[in-house]
Amino acid sequence: MKINISLLLYILLGIPAFVNSQPIVNTKHNLSVSGPGSVKSTIETEVCVFCHTPHNSNPQIPLWNRNNSSAIYTIYDNSISNTFNANTGQPDGSSLLCLSCHDGTVALGNVLSSSSDIFDGAGTKMPAGSRGHLGIDLSDDHPISFVFDAALATSDGQLRYPPVYPATLDVNSKVQCSSCHNAHNNMYGKFLVASNEYSDLCKKCHDMQYWNNSSHSTSSATWNGSGTNPWAHIETPFPTVSQNACENCHQPHSAGGKVRLLKSSLEENNCLDCHNGNVAQSSKDIATELAKPYKHDVAGYNLIHNPNETTSFASHVECEDCHNPHAANSALASAPYASGKLAGVGGVNQNGSWVKPISNEYELCYKCHADNALSVSSTTRQIEQNNTRLEFDLDNPSYHPVVGAGKNPNSPSLIPPYSESSIIYCTDCHASNDSNSPAGPHGSIYPRILKYRYEKADYTQESSSTYELCYSCHSRTSILSNVSFKKHSRHIVNAKAPCNACHDPHGISYSQGNSTNNSHLINFDLDIVKPLMGQLIYEDLGNGRGRCYLTCHGKRHRRYGY
Amino acid sequence: MKSAHIFLSLFFIACLAQVSFGQITGTDHDFSGRTWNSSGEICIVCHTPHNANGAVTGAPLWNHQVTGATFTPYSSTTLDATVGQPAGNSKLCLSCHDGTVAVENYGNVTNGAEFLSGSELIGTDLSNDHPISFSYDATLASTDGGLYDPTTQTSGLGGTIGDDMLFAGQLECASCHDVHNGAGYSNFLRKSNSGSALCLTCHNK
Repeated sequence: MKINISLLLYILLGIPAFVNSQPIVNTKHNLSVSGPGSVKSTIETEVCVFCHTPHNSNPQIPLWNRNNSSAIYTIYDNSISNTFNANTGQPDGSSLLCLSCHDGTVALGNVLSSSSDIFDGAGTKMPAGSRGHLGIDLSDDHPISFVFDAALATSDGQLRYPPVYPATLDVNSKVQCSSCHNAHNNMYGKFLVASNEYSDLCKKCHDMQYWNNSSHSTSSATWNGSGTNPWAHIETPFPTVSQNACENCHQPHSAGGKVRLLKSSLEENNCLDCHNGNVAQSSKDIATELAKPYKHDVAGYNLIHNPNETTSFASHVECEDCHNPHAANSALASAPYASGKLAGVGGVNQNGSWVKPISNEYELCYKCHADNALSVSSTTRQIEQNNTRLEFDLDNPSYHPVVGAGKNPNSPSLIPPYSESSIIYCTDCHASNDSNSPAGPHGSIYPRILKYRYEKADYTQESSSTYELCYSCHSRTSILSNVSFKKHSRHIVNAKAPCNACHDPHGISYSQGNSTNNSHLINFDLDIVKPLMGQLIYEDLGNGRGRCYLTCHGKRHRRYGY
Repeated sequence: MKSAHIFLSLFFIACLAQVSFGQITGTDHDFSGRTWNSSGEICIVCHTPHNANGAVTGAPLWNHQVTGATFTPYSSTTLDATVGQPAGNSKLCLSCHDGTVAVENYGNVTNGAEFLSGSELIGTDLSNDHPISFSYDATLASTDGGLYDPTTQTSGLGGTIGDDMLFAGQLECASCHDVHNGAGYSNFLRKSNSGSALCLTCHNK
């Protein structure tokens, strides 16, 4: 038998040492020469001494051996985030102990029990750029040293009080570093007091509305390894979205975006790091949509969106204007109801009042496109209206059936399953041009983020393509065979007038139009259709009959009837 | 092959016998050279073979004036032990280290002039010092959660913590310190604190 001396020595010496090893000895908080981390002493063999001394400690509790920092800190407070409701001041309590290394201003080896630096004799501090270096700007870190009580939980509305053990408050009922971290025990990583898988630790205080049913809480999606690592901000990320939970977007320390401690200060980047086909499946690849020429341009605005905004705000658009990342889920719905993708967001209802959460999808669109009228009509019409809430009102003489079923009981061009009683979404017309793309009006190659081609220029050659948007619901065959309007083919094919010349697709407000002159979405494009002798009139004579008084393409329509 | 066995056996024995030896002579507790110590003896400052002071419990043939100070004990919200006034052998240590009694107040001397200072001076405020004179038992270990059970955890000194480091179940100065420098470690420690081994004997961190 050949004896391996090294192996025997290991058994004799190594195993007993392992069995007797202490948790802290094997962590980065062992700053002694025997420490496992990269930040460790070159001279000191004792472990506890970097923080504790058995005699002459200051502060007395917990037998503290370090000289504290004299730094004045920049703190996370209401000036950083208007959704932060607590009163914070300078760090206090046990957090000061942590900061005596982690703010990077005090030498690691600067201890009371020794007149000389015990780390390396050279006054080395926490290295800037390391994860442990928080600096004196704590406004990119989770707030500390504030009282967390029932009143705060009530005013915030999304907190759990008292915190669930082992998340704890100090004797003054304050959140401190120690609420989340136990400097002596690293069994959960990052010296956390509990595992943060599924953000279980965050949730011991944070009780986000809608979270449990949200896709971000349940998704088992993984990163495919392409492009930017969406979890590069996490020291040891879990493999799935659900496991990383809050930390998919939020970063409790040294956050890239201070406001609400998001990983990126560019709001949309927090979403698009995953919604680019690399984590979220391709049907949720929003980044591709936003690269198209017509889009809700979330990259065009920064730090304007305010989670507390309701009916009045400066023009902007961010992902969070339409989506609540704590709530969005895959629940399906039929028009007019909002689907799970829009769960938990606010909007404006048909009465013009703020509602949260919305019930109907159009209420979300109304937030910007109704009374705020943040986008204006691209067509100059006989009757001008930029408030879509008024355009879709059920009292209007005509409208596309977004809020309720349409006015016209006889619409023979409709392609089943559409019928006169159908209700449609705004997003049935305004959406991605690619049917395999994510639903919703993220981006399109067509103007006004339309789902299909919709030419509105005069003298457009009619084809199945040029008016593809209209023909997706209204049978081209029916339209061109003049089943509804007897002169459709003559106008569209022969005269090359676009649909848009006579029809105003949203609707005509009852406050401006009437059922005689504005049925069938008639509201002329003034760049194409001109008044005759100062008059521009369409008259509905009932039973599929009507007449026009106007000039178009140089042709005078003197009460042309049909 | 045989030589390897012998080598390993010897090595193993050497490992087990990793014990240092020291003596009091020449240490800070050797006052034989002081001008006030006309006898030139070492032990006499604390001990006498005859007519010893028996008033203090556990004081072995005691010859030094005993402190009468009232102390401020250590307290903390995370301290689970009940800490009262110093007692037992800790009071003997404090009879020099609290700074109220002169080092040379032994025998019949009561008006000595040498008092401790600097890092040797503990004072009567013990609130910035590791707690002493408290009962350290299995219940305390269980309540605290960060301490080993002294009845089962080995001390590294031969037996359990309770066997080797506690005095009537109490933690005292002598739990960590050997006034006679028997182990030969700095600060009169009873075992090496390299790797904080002394601290981690009791503290399960």
